[in-house]
Amino acid sequence: MEHYLILARSVTYAQRMQKVLNRAGVRCQIFRAPRDLSNLGCAYAVRIATVDLTAALTSLHAASLDPVQIFLYQRGLYQEVHP
Amino acid sequence: MIYLDSAATTFQKPASVAAAMWDALATMSSPGRGGHSAAMRAADTAFQCRSELAELFHLDNPEQVVFTLNATHALNIAIKSLVPPGGRVVVSGYEHNAVTRPLEALGANVAVAVCPLFRPDAAEDAFQRLIKSGVSAVICSHVSNVFGFIQPLEAIAALCKSRGVPLIVDASQSAGVLPLDGKALGAAYIAMPGHKGLYGPQGTGVLLCGDGVQPRPLLEGGTGSLSIQQQMPDFLPDRLEAGTHNMPGIAGLLAGVRYVRQRGTKKILDRERQLIQQAADGLSRIPGLCVYAEPGMQNQTGVLSLTVKNQGAEELGTALAERNIAVRAGVHCSPLAHRSAGTLNTGTIRVSVSDFNTPGEISRLVSAVRRIRARK
Repeated sequence: MEHYLILARSVTYAQRMQKVLNRAGVRCQIFRAPRDLSNLGCAYAVRIATVDLTAALTSLHAASLDPVQIFLYQRGLYQEVHP
Repeated sequence: MIYLDSAATTFQKPASVAAAMWDALATMSSPGRGGHSAAMRAADTAFQCRSELAELFHLDNPEQVVFTLNATHALNIAIKSLVPPGGRVVVSGYEHNAVTRPLEALGANVAVAVCPLFRPDAAEDAFQRLIKSGVSAVICSHVSNVFGFIQPLEAIAALCKSRGVPLIVDASQSAGVLPLDGKALGAAYIAMPGHKGLYGPQGTGVLLCGDGVQPRPLLEGGTGSLSIQQQMPDFLPDRLEAGTHNMPGIAGLLAGVRYVRQRGTKKILDRERQLIQQAADGLSRIPGLCVYAEPGMQNQTGVLSLTVKNQGAEELGTALAERNIAVRAGVHCSPLAHRSAGTLNTGTIRVSVSDFNTPGEISRLVSAVRRIRARK
């Protein structure tokens, strides 16, 4: 199923993102990011539905929680996006 | 046992603390070390604990809350991040060895803001004279672990702010007892134990990091983040939390923090002051005792020291221990505080209470001391 992964610098950062998104009514889950998505090693990411990207980024930006990277999952592959 | 040594560690904890620790042992692994349920449960608990500590101490961001082994560990990080070898430092006259020994190891040039007991006005004047540009840091114990003397922290913080000198607060005796507003103080670092006024287990401590600080790690190692990079992450809390977390401790600390937030620091302080006032009133009527209490207790918390004529502090402490009453005798790892108060040669007997002590226990302490002294 298509979704976005918003990469965070740490699990604590991902948890802060999750808290902000939950308050904004955006459903999300924290996941370990697939290894090949981060060239710096282990990472966590917040997964959201594709329809929620704009609302999520607006809320995160307002909370000064800018993502490290964003990936779109489509047809079994992750692709970095720059919305 | 009547436990009156809470300035060292609170011994009676809320029942929820042990329950949370058992739960952590049974269900949690390590936060930030995997995506499985045991790791994520640990991560949730750690985050909740950071968030509740941030709320209690008025910080916006839970990432500014760093878990340490104890307050000494937290103070070492803070001091070694700000004070270069030989750097100039101003400290209060009531610091613990957790502050003075790291400064000695750094060869710091230490100026002491000397003041008499229970004279916050004199403390403020002393800091006013000593805080100058070129000082690497001001370090202030919010409350003396020997005498319960409350330093005028807000005034000292304002002086630091106006003169551009970073402030390190040792909140070992005040966290969970006095209001502490990290944002309003603007301190660079606030260090505290988890196992005293926050009612967590031993082996827990907290370092609150101010906005924009660049702490130096004491330990390097795995953090579960940026694993390929060989330098420690430059962001908190990972920068200061190398290695596996003490999850039973953090879960217990969370339960303790919840107890404090539910009770409120004002209620806890009021209760502790009433008990210490009762102890001071009773003990000061016993001939041969010198009780260090401030009338009205406006500048004193739940800690009381006394000296004994013709009897060593340790001797009275031992006699009380034989009666199953736990107090602390000696120098309490704070020779500087004793030097300031003039009790270095004798040491003191320290009575320190928590929210779990009762007036009946204080009455039994006073009776026991009276009986012991009557035999002299």
